[in-house]
Amino acid sequence: MKFLQKLPEQALRILVVFVILATGMLLVRQFVIPADMKDMTLIQTATMEREADKEAKYAGAAVCVQCHEKQQEIKRGGYHRDLSCESCHDAAQKHADSPTEVKPVSPRKRDYCVYCHSYNASRPTGFPQINPDTHNPRKPCITCHNPHNPKPTQPPRSCAACHAQIERTKAASYHAQLACTVCHTTPEKHKTEPRTVTPTKPDKREFCGKCHSEGKGAKGVPTVDMATHGEKYVCWQCHYPHMLGGI
Amino acid sequence: MEAVQHFTELAKQVVGFIYPNEIEIHWSILIVVYPYITGLVAGAFILASLVKVFNVKELQPTYRLALLTALAFLLIAPLPLQLHLGRPERSFEMFLTPQLSSAMAMFGFVYLWYLMVVLLLEIWFEYRRDMIVWSGEATGVKKWALKILSLFSTDVSEKAVAFDKKTVKIITVIGIPSAFLLHGYVGFIFGSIKANPWWSSVMMPVVFLFSAIVSGIAIVMLLYMIVVPLRGGKIDMQCLDKMASFLFYAVIVDFSIEVLDFIHRLYESEESIKILSALVETKLFMSLVILQILLGMLLPLGVMVVIRVFKLQEEVRKLLYFVCGLLIQLGIFSTRWNVVIGGQLFSKSFRGLTTYKMELMGIEGLLVAVALLIIPFVILAVLLNLLPPWKKEELARTT
Ligand code: HEC
Ligand code: HEC
Ligand code: HEC
Ligand code: HEC
Ligand code: HEC
Ligand code: HEC
Ligand code: HEC
Ligand code: HEC
Repeated sequence: MKFLQKLPEQALRILVVFVILATGMLLVRQFVIPADMKDMTLIQTATMEREADKEAKYAGAAVCVQCHEKQQEIKRGGYHRDLSCESCHDAAQKHADSPTEVKPVSPRKRDYCVYCHSYNASRPTGFPQINPDTHNPRKPCITCHNPHNPKPTQPPRSCAACHAQIERTKAASYHAQLACTVCHTTPEKHKTEPRTVTPTKPDKREFCGKCHSEGKGAKGVPTVDMATHGEKYVCWQCHYPHMLGGI
Repeated sequence: MEAVQHFTELAKQVVGFIYPNEIEIHWSILIVVYPYITGLVAGAFILASLVKVFNVKELQPTYRLALLTALAFLLIAPLPLQLHLGRPERSFEMFLTPQLSSAMAMFGFVYLWYLMVVLLLEIWFEYRRDMIVWSGEATGVKKWALKILSLFSTDVSEKAVAFDKKTVKIITVIGIPSAFLLHGYVGFIFGSIKANPWWSSVMMPVVFLFSAIVSGIAIVMLLYMIVVPLRGGKIDMQCLDKMASFLFYAVIVDFSIEVLDFIHRLYESEESIKILSALVETKLFMSLVILQILLGMLLPLGVMVVIRVFKLQEEVRKLLYFVCGLLIQLGIFSTRWNVVIGGQLFSKSFRGLTTYKMELMGIEGLLVAVALLIIPFVILAVLLNLLPPWKKEELARTT
């Protein structure tokens, strides 16, 4: 108490204000705020329950199969085996609940398939891509491709059908004139079962040396001393073979 | 189908590849305004502390103005965040149910500390004697306002005033690290976001801090040049020159740190460097290269060098200082823009960019942002009226 007496008048006033504010806050916290608002675990559970209570819109692929075995059977063996039914038929929980009253939509027009199949540099290598303006224009895709098993009537003609990005970069590189098959021996089956049957890839320095080693090179082909150039590394550790613009 | 259609609609504002949840920008212009305003607060306070702690006598005329400026902006600082989150009236609950693991929630306490313990206290002790004297002279509402503000304190004895002075000094000493904390923390919130290479940098708090000092000094300089003539006073050239020289050095330090950060990023050349340079070359070219660096930093630096080298006349100097101040505000606002908006324009896949479309009317829109930038000046006008920073004699004094 002695300490308080020694304080100047104004400091005491400000102290009182602060004490009132602080106790006010503590009192509100103690008596006004409900207990479950102060409990972190309770808050988190409440959030989870709130999320869980939200209306489910998607039924999930497993549900559709219960009633649509036929479509599932067709899809299972085809190129679209990894797609979920609802990525084409839109959210269909309501349909699964009352199948005769609510009908899901079916994308029959060209524009829908193109969301996935038009050319885009960032699509993974090997993903089939077309140019919608030139690929059999105007007819709906489903006149030729069964949406549940879109096997083309004949295998794609060019590697660009599935390696669009590589084809485009190669076209602008020094190797524009070389066919893919010069460097990749490709079995015809790769075009229909690309993941099970794969083409070869160059695996030795000498492969590039066929054209680029000193003395061997045809006219106009730049050559290097195979013994020293690039030391022990394979050539494509420094030269990306499809994009020779850089180095 | 609807979702897909909506998605393709949006996809038009995208170049390259982007994840669906990155197309629309969520931290809008309000989040740009927020660090801009807190920066002004911290910077103005640092300027004030130059007078009290580092005893820079020339700057005495700006001391109280700087404090009031800091307060006016600090009162509005949380508003953009609260409007952005919605339900501003509930925001005080953050103090009642503290969430220690949330960096953003803890910022509330930094703010509270800075407002209550630093700024309000310092202003109160600084003005206490004057408030008592003025409340004796005033009448009506103003009299009572001043009485309540002074907490009905009456002691104007020399001993009491000496205590005030001492306390002000102690608070300023505490205030400097607090101001650093206040704005460093804003930088920290961005800098600690690991997933975003544009933000994630330990330099972030430092960069924020120095740009804050720059903007704070510049705003007080501008206000000083506007308010003093309005009150019928004469601008103290010695003070203005000193302020400008501090501003000059602050800009240099700020610029060097940003260049350092830039070089560091270039040398490190992490996998994000390509998309970041694409970002700078396309989407941010105007706001970063032109506004922030050329107009907001290099041009004012150049002008200030010219002022120093050619020892220009008073009137010309004033004009140029004023222009510099405005340019720097523009530059620092762009800095905030580039951090906040820039950080959301590129995809975390590093393969694409999106576009920010600003609303005009909505709660996240341009008009609200402009209003938020105007309110502090209104508050400041009220404060200046209630607590004039200069006495009549001081205004009349010529140097
Ligand atoms: C409980 C059984 C059941 C489930 C589960 C179910 N469906 Fe159906 N679905 C039906 C029946 C029955 C019809 C045929 C209705 C008719 O022709 O009147 C139908 C019709 C359809 C049609 C054709 C609509 C049309 O316009 O003719 C599509 C497409 C469809 N279902 C998709 C789905 C998808 C996708 C799912 C999974 C989310 C699903 N269904 C789950 C029973 C089911
Ligand atoms: C690539 C997109 C796509 C996927 C994936 C897909 N569908 Fe379809 N589905 C369609 C299209 C397009 C039609 C319309 C075909 C027509 O009108 O000829 C259709 C038609 C249907 C029909 C109507 C009857 C029929 O066979 O024509 C049913 C039932 C159906 N789909 C169920 C399913 C189920 C179940 C799955 C998941 C196992 C599924 N679909 C996956 C695109 C798709
Ligand atoms: C959600 C994305 C998606 C949509 C929509 C989609 N597809 Fe596909 N499609 C795929 C995937 C994935 C593959 C398999 C690629 C692989 O095997 O690597 C594929 C494969 C194909 C193939 C096989 C190409 C080949 O020779 O390997 C054809 C043809 C095809 N789709 C046609 C269609 C048609 C027609 C539609 C519209 C009804 C459609 N797709 C809609 C994703 C999609
Ligand atoms: C007139 C029939 C026809 C129509 C319509 C058609 N396609 Fe094809 N599609 C084919 C044939 C034939 C092939 C295989 C030969 C080739 O490469 O052209 C093929 C191949 C494909 C391939 C494999 C890649 C490739 O280039 O070979 C994809 C993907 C594909 N089509 C998607 C589509 C999509 C998406 C649409 C609608 C926008 C569509 N097709 C419309 C006949 C058609
Ligand atoms: C029907 C689509 C399709 C066509 C057409 C196609 N490919 Fe492929 N290719 C793929 C897929 C899918 C992969 C596997 C990608 C993966 O697993 O990452 C692949 C892989 C490859 C690989 C890498 C194999 C490995 O072991 O990594 C090479 C090389 C290749 N393709 C070359 C070619 C060449 C050359 C052609 C043309 C003569 C061609 N492909 C035509 C789909 C195709
Ligand atoms: C000059 C020789 C050469 C030519 C021509 C060439 N490639 Fe390659 N390709 C390579 C080499 C070398 C690799 C890398 C092998 C490794 O990394 O092990 C490769 C790798 C690949 C791969 C697997 C890795 C990847 O990048 O996805 C694919 C797929 C592929 N090539 C497709 C093609 C296609 C399609 C063409 C024609 C458009 C083509 N290549 C033309 C030499 C060539
Ligand atoms: C079938 C012969 C052939 C093979 C095999 C071949 N190249 Fe080439 N390469 C060429 C020709 C021809 C050119 C020159 C094209 C031009 O300049 O128009 C060239 C150009 C180059 C260049 C550009 C040189 C410059 O002028 O900068 C590089 C690098 C290169 N090739 C690397 C490779 C690598 C690495 C491999 C192995 C993966 C390889 N090449 C395999 C024929 C070949
Ligand atoms: C350690 C990296 C490295 C490796 C490995 C490497 N190169 Fe190079 N290569 C370079 C660089 C760098 C240049 C361009 C500078 C120069 O001309 O020396 C170059 C240039 C070339 C050129 C153009 C020469 C000219 O006269 O324009 C050819 C052709 C070439 N390389 C072929 C190859 C072949 C074939 C291999 C594999 C046997 C290979 N490189 C391995 C780094 C490498």
